[in-house]
Amino acid sequence: MPHQCTNCGHVFADGSKEMLSGCPDCGGNKFQYHPGDVDEAPADPPADADAEPPEPPEQEGSSVAGAVGRAANKVRDAVTSDPDPAARTTGDDAGATDAADASSADAETDPVAPETEASAFADEPDADSSSAPETGGEGDEPAEAIDANTATGDEDAAQADARSSVVDTDSLPDAPSEGRVVKEPDDPDDRPDIEALRQELNDQFESIRIVAPGQYELNLMELYDRQEYIIALQEDGQYVIEVPDAWETDDE
Amino acid sequence: MGLFAELRDSISRVSASLFADDSEPKRIGIYGPPNAGKTTLANRIARDWTGDAVGPESHIPHETRRARRKENVEIKRDGKTVNIDIVDTPGVTTKVDYSEFLEHDMEKDEAVRRSREATEGVAEAMHWLREDVDGVIYVLDSTEDPFTQVNTMLIGIIESRDLPVLILANKTDLEGANIQRVSNAFPQHETIPLSALEGENMDEVYEKIAEYFG
Repeated sequence: MPHQCTNCGHVFADGSKEMLSGCPDCGGNKFQYHPGDVDEAPADPPADADAEPPEPPEQEGSSVAGAVGRAANKVRDAVTSDPDPAARTTGDDAGATDAADASSADAETDPVAPETEASAFADEPDADSSSAPETGGEGDEPAEAIDANTATGDEDAAQADARSSVVDTDSLPDAPSEGRVVKEPDDPDDRPDIEALRQELNDQFESIRIVAPGQYELNLMELYDRQEYIIALQEDGQYVIEVPDAWETDDE
Repeated sequence: MGLFAELRDSISRVSASLFADDSEPKRIGIYGPPNAGKTTLANRIARDWTGDAVGPESHIPHETRRARRKENVEIKRDGKTVNIDIVDTPGVTTKVDYSEFLEHDMEKDEAVRRSREATEGVAEAMHWLREDVDGVIYVLDSTEDPFTQVNTMLIGIIESRDLPVLILANKTDLEGANIQRVSNAFPQHETIPLSALEGENMDEVYEKIAEYFG
């Protein structure tokens, strides 16, 4: 039962496509990933928050981005480090990653695991056709998955594919006996580079963007990083700021 | 230039206190998203230990649009006395839109003004976080989803500055409060449930304040 709605705690079976269209109970669209079994009720804290004093973060200069990254990692570690990989039903490394990615509905292609890839998106209307190009069937080299589909005759290709991904569980490699089932969060292929992401955001607008009078978008990192102190906003887009030099000369 | 003069004074005080010895009270910022109950908590602490309030509370988001300070709040726990300055900050958010105030029976002009002040308030809160706080009480509404960009970013900033931080899961008196969800979101920190409005579990809060910021 790897996914759980962060809002209402609804648990989704492994590989469930339900959550692609939001939580059926509350409409929430954020899900956390549990490699092992979880109860409907929220699980125990992944890290023992009561017994363990909050450890200060490792000192790594003053890189805020690093800390944000670390915070994200910690959260991510905590929700993915439940050491019970044997409980997983599919037990496939690629399947786990795909399932985790499925919530973002990112139509990536993964030639290594065509079955699980297709199954994750089998709800989509074009899933049956998508399995063909994804499995590398660009012309004359039909992949196994396509053979399986055509062999089932009149059964809808997406259904057959989804079904086969469940039935095929036995033939999948065994679950790893130890270690994590999903990729390490720090794997550069697995997570976006937070530094680059932040830079992109910073480039989009400065500290405060006036969308319209009374409507503002704030760039919190920029507001935090800048020396100057914005003390007043004008409707015409000007700021009144206090600069640090002025403080020092006034400060006897 | 009244505002500037006032500001300079307060900056001077801040700078002076930066270079003061250890006997100066620690400045503890109360941070969190809008409407988490920061002012209610600040008032609760201030009333419990000084008899005064810090500022007005309301159900309308961004009621607090300027950081407010209550100095020399003396908290006694287990024979130990902790002296802190409480800074109640405006709720931090990435978007401020006057139209959300219109639902609260506000005229458009008033809503636009409030929205501008709220934006200035967020800028101020972020600035204080950079310069002027020695520790943070991070208040979350435990009926709301804690997995937000603002929360993750602020906690990250606080961690990068190595500030001691207490996470409070507020509004436990409300149905739908989910403390577990809050502690799941920030497992690297201790989460303390409370209702600042009802005064539930304040003993533990004071105990932890003394432990973390003493």
